[in-house]
Parts: sequence; structure tokens; C-alpha cells
Amino acid sequence: MSRDFDEEYDIVVVGAGHAGCEAAMAAARLGLDTALYTLNLDLVAQMSCNPAIGGIAKGHLVREIDALGGIMGEVIDRTGIQFRLLNRSRGPAVWSPRAQADKQAYRTEMRRVLEQQQRLRIKQAEVVSILRDGEKVWGIELRDGRRVKAGAVILTTGTFLNGLIHVGENHYSAGRSGEQPSISLAESIKMIGFEWGRLKTGTPPRLDGRTIRFDRLEEQKGDEPPTPFSFRTEKIPQPQVSCYITYTNEEVHRIIRENMGRSPLYSGRIQGIGPRYCPSIEDKVVKFPEKLRHQLFLEPEGVNTYEVYVNGLSTSMPVDVQMRVVRAIPGLERAEVIRPGYAIEYDFVQPTQLTRTLETKKIRGLYHAGQINGTTGYEEAACQGLMAGINAALQLQGQEPLVLERSQAYIGILIDDLVTLGTDEPYRMFTSRAEFRLHLRIDNADQRLTPLGRHIGLVGDQHFQCYQAKQKRMRTLEAALQEIKVPVENGRLSAAAALKRTEVKLEILLDLLPPGLRNSLSREELKSAETAIKYEGYLRQQSLEIEKMKRAESRLIPPHFEYCGIPGLSREIVEKLSRVRPVSLGQAGRIPGVTPAALSILHIYLELNARRDEISA
Amino acid sequence: MPRLLEDTIAAISTPLGKSGIGVVRLSGPQSRSILAKLFRRQQQDLGDRRPVLGEIVDSEKGESLDQVMVTCFLAPRSYTREDVVEISCHGSPVLLRSILQLLIREGARLATPGEFTLRAFLRGRIDLLQAEAIRDLIEAQTLFQARVARQQAAGGLSRRVQPIKERLIQLIALLEAGIDFAEDDVAVPGDNEIGEQMNTIRGDLGRLEATFAAGRLINEGFSLAIVGRPNVGKSSLFNALLKEERAIVTELPGTTRDLVAETAQLGGIPVRLMDTAGIREVTDRIEQLGVDRSREALADAEQVLLVLDGSEELQTEDGNLLEELEGRSYHLVINKIDLPQRLTPDTLKTSARTRSLISVRTGEGVEALRATLLRDLELEQAIESEGGLLTNLRQEQEVRSSLESLDRVKQGLAENLPHEILLLDLYRALKSLNALTGETTVEDILDHIFSKFCIGK
Repeated sequence: MSRDFDEEYDIVVVGAGHAGCEAAMAAARLGLDTALYTLNLDLVAQMSCNPAIGGIAKGHLVREIDALGGIMGEVIDRTGIQFRLLNRSRGPAVWSPRAQADKQAYRTEMRRVLEQQQRLRIKQAEVVSILRDGEKVWGIELRDGRRVKAGAVILTTGTFLNGLIHVGENHYSAGRSGEQPSISLAESIKMIGFEWGRLKTGTPPRLDGRTIRFDRLEEQKGDEPPTPFSFRTEKIPQPQVSCYITYTNEEVHRIIRENMGRSPLYSGRIQGIGPRYCPSIEDKVVKFPEKLRHQLFLEPEGVNTYEVYVNGLSTSMPVDVQMRVVRAIPGLERAEVIRPGYAIEYDFVQPTQLTRTLETKKIRGLYHAGQINGTTGYEEAACQGLMAGINAALQLQGQEPLVLERSQAYIGILIDDLVTLGTDEPYRMFTSRAEFRLHLRIDNADQRLTPLGRHIGLVGDQHFQCYQAKQKRMRTLEAALQEIKVPVENGRLSAAAALKRTEVKLEILLDLLPPGLRNSLSREELKSAETAIKYEGYLRQQSLEIEKMKRAESRLIPPHFEYCGIPGLSREIVEKLSRVRPVSLGQAGRIPGVTPAALSILHIYLELNARRDEISA
Repeated sequence: MPRLLEDTIAAISTPLGKSGIGVVRLSGPQSRSILAKLFRRQQQDLGDRRPVLGEIVDSEKGESLDQVMVTCFLAPRSYTREDVVEISCHGSPVLLRSILQLLIREGARLATPGEFTLRAFLRGRIDLLQAEAIRDLIEAQTLFQARVARQQAAGGLSRRVQPIKERLIQLIALLEAGIDFAEDDVAVPGDNEIGEQMNTIRGDLGRLEATFAAGRLINEGFSLAIVGRPNVGKSSLFNALLKEERAIVTELPGTTRDLVAETAQLGGIPVRLMDTAGIREVTDRIEQLGVDRSREALADAEQVLLVLDGSEELQTEDGNLLEELEGRSYHLVINKIDLPQRLTPDTLKTSARTRSLISVRTGEGVEALRATLLRDLELEQAIESEGGLLTNLRQEQEVRSSLESLDRVKQGLAENLPHEILLLDLYRALKSLNALTGETTVEDILDHIFSKFCIGK
């Protein structure tokens, strides 16, 4: 193969969605010459589905991205139009921020941030193939024939690989509504020999807000004051807008049932598997016939548009049915559909073919991040992009990779789940996926991750000073809480000891703090200190369990360990282990179908091998 | 050091004792080649799962030890999934040991206790619960135990634990749905509902835990002290009670367990007789031992029979024993009712649970006493009605720790702790049950959530 090329970068990122933006930014910030390729420069960081960032567990991911040195948090803080902290009725471990975004502002702001970054170039072009030398990537080829050389290529292609849109009886190739798909690139990826599959996702119709009777609907306001995503955002100055809540009714369900024959989902035309937690309205009606109404959220797409997103009404019904459905909904009797809803099917590459750095096992220097790995959600995509960008850069610089453990971050859980279990439906993060949920809070994401981000060079001086200043304030607060005594029924207790009681809240102790200290702390910092004290007993218990998990994770399996021929391992288990190639006994134990018995055999064999090596050494 | 699973192990696999037939077993890749060096036969082919007649010959001495039947079970269609050879010979302990020694001389290794089952387990032949049940089967000293062990091996306990686990997963899914889908239209259960579901699960687990008493009784039997002053007929009562099921002396294959000389059985339950005076040594040592010795045994015994002589009036020693046992639950037996009666049992004030009038000499009332003792154990009911039983300590501890975790959840509910904290102990409770029946994954819990709630905006 000829190695002529027209341009050269250290790292090339293909696709400028939420994964691609983080990947390119991280790589450039780490000092590598980076090019970010997109099919349409005006649609960088497009929110193809709902106009919102965060939510339960997803908000945790954004905090972690921010703490490590990613950009999603600060961009949404600047462009959000409604902020809410979810799950306030529960403990702080499961609180999670969510914001409605001004879609257009988000794109513009993200592009501004990328454009200001040194060593980063954004390019509009269609990438048609991956260039490689045997098992090593060396670049990409563009539609116009140009070849771009790169040390690493990160694919963040979203729903574009062989994208196929369905609306009623019609279907056509597209990457998103109104955008061309990537068909040649999908071919090129398949040529490499990856195991791939087909997934489906969908969006609801968008309405003209001027035709909605908001006055008849339940209003949902933002929090006052709003909770930011980024640890460095001190204040969110922009005014907040409201969302509105309405419900489907039996008439809506009747229309859907009567037209089920025209639904591509139920006529068998759609083959891909959709997410169970984001079902289409057709699915909801069929699967939960006993439910007489389904909740819908009307979310503004921005402040400079009347476009409204109908969250909960995802559908691929024919347009005429969508219009009848919409108008049967209270408050939407006269609503105008601006864009119909649609379903999209796309290719994904089974993520068990990746290492924990998101590099493919087959091709060195090739990384996959985002929906190409079978995930769903902007936040899930962004955190993978960040990790792929970081690891591609670290590898080119000859540094140790950055792999987050399950006990360290939701990002670690997400990647471990993907590379260990693979997926057969779009993967979304939930807090219930975390073994150590109490540790992985939004308020301590910086403590967990910022030092790591600093260590690899992604967290800049200003960011790090900000972090250090916060840590200093927190330590001062902790010391003060130990020192201050408060009267209780039979004597005096330190404020910290008193806070352990369920009924004692930090707010009532605030007046006891020195005013200088009190005024320097944010609401969230106070809450964080209180949480650490209140949860202390549980956190200590979980720490013990984390240690146990770490021991299993530290029993490493050599990269070329031969599973074949180990007596006692069934062929099925040998096949699974050989496919995933777990790096540790801990990871092996998480592979479905690997029994405790198989693990103990594996353990014994690893021990025997180690002993033999010891003797021969 | 021999590598695990690569060498060939051997052991005597029938209880050592005077039985008709004894079996020596080999398992491992060299099973057949080791056998070939010792086995003289007409027919060349050993075949698979087919008994072959021949002789075991000590080739060094050139002498035949015994006529035997040999059955080969070729891998993987054997208990351990390895090549297994079973040599059935006459049941003399000396002969069995000689054959075992020959096998070891020819390259086999003496199996450690339970190693056959361990191999079966390591090779994926059986799961942990089955492995335990099969160990119990080997240890089953009686038919009754064997029955329960068979039930366990067929998954009786798993079948019983599974529905309890399902309910626990459902509860966890409810709470998780409330956390992860707070934005959705999910009906989060109130504390009352959680409390009710908890109570159902705890009730079921409590009943399961209660089967351990019966399970252990069946598995390990009980200790019995027959007390009474000399010459009331303790020794002959013991013999009469256990007459048809005379003691089986056990020694497990490959182990060096001491002879359990006084293990007998009562209706299928192993009975360990407490060494009370008047049973073996009664004839020559009455004077020295007497009542004092009985007292010692009393302290340790799980079941007590107090024997009085109906043909004599109550003696001081009888009175002392009655006093000793006052407040304790025991069985009162009045012997020698075939003779003129001088004792008036109705006037006796005792805390005895049952009273039986018998004559060991004529046999009158002995059957009724056996029935009374058995009925008193309340075993049949436990087994027939409940199916799965907890028979060993590991299982019992898992169930108990599951219950303890649920107790903490209940307490947490009362303290209004948030659900993510309650879930810590709910997951611990689940983990304990997983140890009995196998893993539950996050996906299992998500499946429950998505099938129950219409989630998704």
C-alpha cells in the first residue's frame, strides 16, 4: 500500500458529536496535533435528541468529565436555560444535576471552545476509510481522495454508520434527520473484521410553541439558585425558562392501536434493538396496556426559537398519525408539528473488542467512543470520547494509560461494563450499576478525579488552583466542625459528632462557624462536608468492600494467557474468556456465564503459573 | 508437587466395616493404566460402564488378592468427568486397604477427603449446593439421611430459595426504580409497602432457617442419654430401642475418622449414645459410677430418657434424678410393668414431656416408645411439607446473615434512612441468598424494573 499522504496529525477524530468534541479537546490539550473531522461544521455538538444534559447518573458522568478536565460541564453551564438538581428527596449520593440546553447556543459555544484550543483543527469532510498497515492504523482517507496520516484515529461516528431513518412506511438512509449517513466508512470498518450489530433509537415530534396552550398545563420551573455542572462555575447568570407537563390519554392510545399496522416497529421493518428505558410511545401503549396515561414533558429547544421537544412521545408512526396523536393530547389540540418524530437504525461495533483504554484489540491506534460502542446518551458518549482522547494521547507520548476503576468513577463502570459484557441494547448509565454508589457522588467527583487529570496534564493550572483552594476550604471546615462544641441533652459534642444524628442538619450549625469561613463556602461544599460526616459509617463499610474488589482486580491475568486446555473450564467459558481477554480475575468474574467454579479454577491456575515462574526464576 | 487435576487419585469409597461388598475407586487420566498393572481378566476390553470379572494380583509377589468386579466409567461420563475405575471386592477392611496400597504403589495418589467431589465440582459436573448434598449423601449413615440428601441433590433447596430471592429482587427493583427513574412516572413504594414486603420475605426466610434444626438432626443425628439408677434396665432398653438397626461403624474414604462405636439409629436418625453408666460397664462398675456418671452425660445430651423401675418404690437415687431433671424437658420411662407394680406414676411430679410404660423383657410398650420419640422430633412434617431443608452450617449461616441484613433494613426504615442506604443491606441480603443458588446481576434487576414500570421520557 502506498503511504503517500496530504496532511499529517498526531491524532484524528472522526465525528464532532459529544464524544468527538471531548476526544479532540483532550488530545489537543495534552499537546498533540489533532484534527476533528465532521460532515457538517455547523452541527458540531448537535443534540440530536432531547435538548438536555444530565439527569440521574448522567449528571454524575458530566461532573466526572469536568473533574478530569473535559469540557461538557462548562459548556452546558454557559448555555443551559433551566437547571434542576434531581432526586433531592433522597440522599446526596443519588442527587444529580440536569439542565435544559439552548441547542443552538450549545453548538455555538462548543465550537467556540474548540476553535480557541491550540493544536486543534476542525475540518469539514467525509471520512470514507481507515488506512492501516496490517494491525496498525496510519490514517484516514477522505471522500475527495485526500489521505491524512495520523498516529491514532478515534472513531466517534454516532448513529451515522449505515444510518437508516424510518417514518411510517417510509425509510431512507441518513445520519440524522436531514443529514447524510456514512456508508463507505461503515464498509471500511466492517472490512477490518469487527463483530458488529444493529441498534435503534428514536425521537419525538417537535412542535411550534406558539400553538401550544401552556396556560392549561402544569409548569415545571428550574431551581433557584441553579446547581452548575462544572466545579469552576461560580454562578449561572442566565434567566431560566420553564418546561410543561402533559399526559397522553385513552384517545391517543386508541389512535396508536388502530394504526399499529403502519408502525415500522411493529410491522417488522425495524430490526435494530431499541433502549428499554426510552421506548417509543407505540411500545408504551402495547407493553403497558393497563396504564391509562403516560407523562410527557414539553421542553423548549432554545430561547431564540419557538421549537418545543415533546419528551416521552418518541415515535416512528407515519406523519399523519403523529399529527392526530399530538392533537389528541391536552394542551396540544391546535399544536403544529414542525419536525416529525422518527426512528433510526445504525451499526455499532461490539465493545468487547476494545481494551479498557477504548483502543480496538484488532488494530493498534484505532479507538472507538460513543454510540459506535453501543451506548446511548450525550453524557455516555462524551465520557468515552474524553477517555479515548486521553489514552490515544498518552499512548503516542509513551505514557501509562489512564484506566478508571469501578470504585473510582461512573466512567470506569461504563467502560468496564462495555468491554467486559458487551451490549445488545443501547447502554445507558444508571446509579444502580455502581457497586459503591455512596462513594461516587457529584460533590466529590473532583476529589476522585481532578488529581488524576492533573497528573496526566489535562487539568490546567487555573483549574487545579481552583481545586486546591476548594480542598483547603473543605479541610478548614472539617477542622472547624471537630473543634466547635454544641450543647446536647447531656453535655457537649463536637459539631461533627452532632451531625451524625439524623435530625441535625449543617444549616442549623452555620452560625457557629467563623464568618470568614462560612462566607467562603458554597452551598454544595457545605453539603459535601455534611454528607461525608453523615455517611461516614456506610462509607467506611464500603471502603472495606472496595479493598476486596481491588484485590480481585489486582490478580492480573497475563495478556496472552492460554485458557484452552485448562481442565474444568467448559468450552463455552474458554470461548468467553478468550474473547474478552479480561485483564484481571476481578474482570473475569464479571463476564456473564463465568461461574464461581470456573473462577476458582482460573485462580488456582494463575497461582500455579505464578509459582512455577517463581521457581524457574 | 502433583498438579491439580492432572494426577490420579484413589480411595476406599465404602464405609469401613463388615459389609458384603467394598469399593475402591480411582479417578484421573491414569486410572485405567494403573488398573491394568493389577487386574487379571479373561476379557481384554475393559469397556465403558460395564462390569468385568477378574482378579487383583500383586505382581511383585505374584499372588492373587481377591476376585473382583471392575467397572470403568470413561470421561466425561463419570462422576468426576475424568476416567473413573471402580473395583468391587469383598468387604474386608484388610483386603480393601491392601488393594488401595497396591494402587498407590502403581502411581495413584491417596485422595484427600472429599477430593472426588471436589474434582466433580471443579470440572463443572455439579454446583456448590449439589456438591454439599452429595457429600452429605456419602456421609449419610442411614436411609433417612439419604432420602433428604437425594432431595437436596435434585435441587430441593434451590427450588425453595428461588421464590424468596425473586421477591427480594422485586423489592430491590422497586427501590432502584424510584432512584434511577425519579423523573419518570414511577410509583415509588411507600415505607408501609416496603415494610410489608420485607415482612413476607423475612417470614419465609425465618421458616427456612427453622428447617435447620430438622436438617441438622437428620444429617448429624442427636445425642441420647438414658439415665436411671442401676438395674432399672437402661442397657437392655437401649438395645431394645435400637434392635433392628444395629450400629453401623463408619469411616469415610480417605479420612482417618475414629470409630464411632456407639452410633446407632432410630427410625433413620443417627443416635449417639452418651456414655452413661449402666450401659456397657454396668455389670462390673456399678458401685463406683452410679448416678454421678449419669449426671455428667445429662449435661451434654440433646435428648434424655429417665428410666424408673415400676416394680419398686421410688428410691432416694430416683428422687435425686427427678430433682436433677426438674424444669428440663425429657422423656419419662417406667420399666418392668410386667412385674407387680409398686410405683404409682400418677403421684410423680415431673416436667417430663412424655411418659411411657414399658417392659423391655416382654417388649410391651417399646414400639410405642420408639414412635413417641420419633414423633417428638417432628421431622416427617418438616421434610414432607417444606421440600428443601438447610442441612449444613454454611447454608444456615447464609440464611441467617440474610435475615440479619433484612433486620437492619427494617431498622433503617424505622429511622427514615434514604433508599440508597436501605439498598446496601438489601443487596447484602441478596448476596447471601446468591451464595445458595447462584449469582444475580444488575441486568436481572433492570429486567424487573423495565418489565414492571413504563420508563422513559
